[in-house]
Amino acid sequence: MDISPQGSSDGVIFTARVIRTANPSRPIATAIAVRDEKVLAVGTLEDCQAWGITEVDTQFENKVLTAGFIEAHGHMGTGMFGTIPYVGFFPRQMPDGTVTAGITSTEQLIERLQVLDAELENGAPLVASGFDPIYMAGDRLTRHHLDAVSTTRPIFVMHASIHLATVNSVVLNKYGIGPAHPAPGVGFDTAGTPNGELREPAAMGLAKDEFRVFASSMFGPRTMADFALTMRNAGITTSTDLANSFALNENALTQSLDATAEDSFPLRIAAATSIQGGPPAMPDLVTKVVTAQKSSHNKLMFPVVKLVLDGSIQGFTATVAWPGYFRGEDHGLFLTPPEQVVDLLRPFHQAGIGIHCHCNGNMAAEVFISAIDVLLREHSWLDHRHTITHAQLITPAQMRRARNLGMNANFFVNHVWFWGDQHHDITVGPDRAHAMNPCANADRIGLPYSFHSDAPVTPPGHLHTIWAAVNRVSPSGKVIGPNERISIDRAFHAATIDAAYQLHLDHLIGSLEVGKLADLTVLEEDPYEVDPMNIKDIKVWGTVIGGVVHQAPHS
Amino acid sequence: MTEVSAQIPVLIIAGYLGAGKTTLVNQMLSTATSRIAVIVNDFGSVNIDAALIAERHDDTIELTNGCVCCVVGESLTDVLFAIGDRPQQPDFIIIEASGVADPSVVASYAHLSGFHLGGVLVLVDAVNAVTTSLDTYVGVTFARQVRTADLVAITKSDIASSEELQNTRRLVAETAPRTPVIEASAVDLSSLLHLHRAEHLTDTTSVHASFSTSVLDTSTVTTETSLQGFLNSLSPKTVRVKGIVELRDGTRVLVQRVGMYASLTTTTLAPTGLVAIHAE
Repeated sequence: MDISPQGSSDGVIFTARVIRTANPSRPIATAIAVRDEKVLAVGTLEDCQAWGITEVDTQFENKVLTAGFIEAHGHMGTGMFGTIPYVGFFPRQMPDGTVTAGITSTEQLIERLQVLDAELENGAPLVASGFDPIYMAGDRLTRHHLDAVSTTRPIFVMHASIHLATVNSVVLNKYGIGPAHPAPGVGFDTAGTPNGELREPAAMGLAKDEFRVFASSMFGPRTMADFALTMRNAGITTSTDLANSFALNENALTQSLDATAEDSFPLRIAAATSIQGGPPAMPDLVTKVVTAQKSSHNKLMFPVVKLVLDGSIQGFTATVAWPGYFRGEDHGLFLTPPEQVVDLLRPFHQAGIGIHCHCNGNMAAEVFISAIDVLLREHSWLDHRHTITHAQLITPAQMRRARNLGMNANFFVNHVWFWGDQHHDITVGPDRAHAMNPCANADRIGLPYSFHSDAPVTPPGHLHTIWAAVNRVSPSGKVIGPNERISIDRAFHAATIDAAYQLHLDHLIGSLEVGKLADLTVLEEDPYEVDPMNIKDIKVWGTVIGGVVHQAPHS
Repeated sequence: MTEVSAQIPVLIIAGYLGAGKTTLVNQMLSTATSRIAVIVNDFGSVNIDAALIAERHDDTIELTNGCVCCVVGESLTDVLFAIGDRPQQPDFIIIEASGVADPSVVASYAHLSGFHLGGVLVLVDAVNAVTTSLDTYVGVTFARQVRTADLVAITKSDIASSEELQNTRRLVAETAPRTPVIEASAVDLSSLLHLHRAEHLTDTTSVHASFSTSVLDTSTVTTETSLQGFLNSLSPKTVRVKGIVELRDGTRVLVQRVGMYASLTTTTLAPTGLVAIHAE
């Protein structure tokens, strides 16, 4: 009996050197058939052609395809460098694919600002961001350096930490910031004159117009478009925006749904609605999230909500249990009162909406885990997948408890590289630094987890997070937490299917399986085959989203 | 000394959950004789008498007595500038800090251009303070709040047991030994706290009968330095000072002191002398 395959010859087959599927039952393939934005078949060319598809696209013949990388904790503000000039230490790829060279000295900063000054119209402020002097020798940046660029144009340079800005004398004079200005955060030289340093948002806000230019670069349609391009360049096919407020604003929701629906928009966005402060402050917040979920499409989804409980470890604002910080003053604080957390989360838990909660410190993790324990006794939901995001100092006991409660972790494993030495020497000391972001222990215990870059806090891209999780090396050359290193295979799954799982999206994305969306990351080399120390250096060619090819420029 | 022109004083009201911040803010709004702008974290807890509400928007509530209540939203900077841009500027601004906020961080916003800090009041709940101070998660936050205060007000002393009240007094004294402390109801505190810009400072003696007041002898005050020295020498029992003094060079200075924090601004109005309000 001759039985033909169902359907038509519609669709396309991509062939590749190797395809890493993130599906353990069929982990490796060499061809993938795509029809109606979904995976029709994945295996050999013959397996795919058996469906009747005749069009074979061989452009990836010598490339490596993987299940699309998913950024489980990113921010739309990653797109800011499309509008604000980048003046950071490390070279950085811009949304248009060009690479801006790093600024490695104050002299280079002045030269770059002089070029930017010449390009700007008269009167417009010059606002730049990402300046990172911690690796530089010489005097600290002051207004005098910036006065060498212009004595007529306001100049505002945001530092990489986002806790400090330096401005020129034009800005100081414009706002009357003089000797003995009472605002904490205004820096003075030894003569008592403001030196141009403005610390923390309250002092930066003194430079009203210039700070607004910076702040507005974090949001808006242009930033969303640049966010998508930046993520594409890094090989990300789906990124969270954690936290997002589209669900709260009908206009923003409609505009964003329209913009992301275009085939040319190169990213799926999983928006995590911010529930900071409410309910009860915002009693209709649950309804708004559900409404957004109903109006969503597969390029802009609203699968989870986000709450922030504490601050950061390197800023000494994370809530760290006894014995506290190793060196430095403890500024740990809860951004939401612990006793209100259960009431705040209850309506979302009961409505069946996943909760991602920012817990850098182990006290914050304890509060969140305890709140979920209470909520589960009140209201059974076996499949909630509530996620402790960052979870950097989570203890083994907390991980066992979180596992029993059906929770997930989302580790900020890039910290091992970007602040690993500081954590080892200053913030929490050697002992706890070795147990930070404990991927291997989570596996021993059985707690599901993903990774994130927290972009723009660290640059987006899972080749770097995978590299950090596999090697755990710090800039000084230490291996921080050798027993927490994991295999490339385990790390690859954390960056793909396990991220999809904690977003309640694993039926749609995260692995290459028949019926799921055809999202691929296109790489020049196979992360399974290169020297593990070189994983981060693999070049990203681009992505495929729902079968639509998005090539990153200059690749 | 800051210039008086168009500067709006900002009073911070802080303290842990349940200490009575919202009750105090509601009391101040409902009895306001000047134009107050209040910044709150959310409208959920604000319980303004419906008869007082003139207009309600997403992020502001306008009252019939000229006051306005604003939600902090994304950024304290933005809401302060929005208030500064209103056609009818307020006489002063109250920021009701969140129950877990570090008041010093909130206070740092009061120096944005167009504003100056009026002081940090931290409320301490006589019934629950000791328990809060021992809490694993928020004990540190509680201590930080009390240490940051310019003036501590112990609330709920009427419903606390005498033992609770004694323990709370001891706790506050140990945490912030030099900070003035009063025990007062919302009604009393409200009458104590109304800040004014110079042009509205007409009657310096109208405070609630439960406090004693006196007119200070400022004959030794000749310069800004001696004025500051004079204020620093006052007893911790002096919880509030206000009035206008003239220095030897003819400069007239509006003094607004809440607890230990004195804001000094220049003014062209006539001297009134300084009135002090004392805790019993």
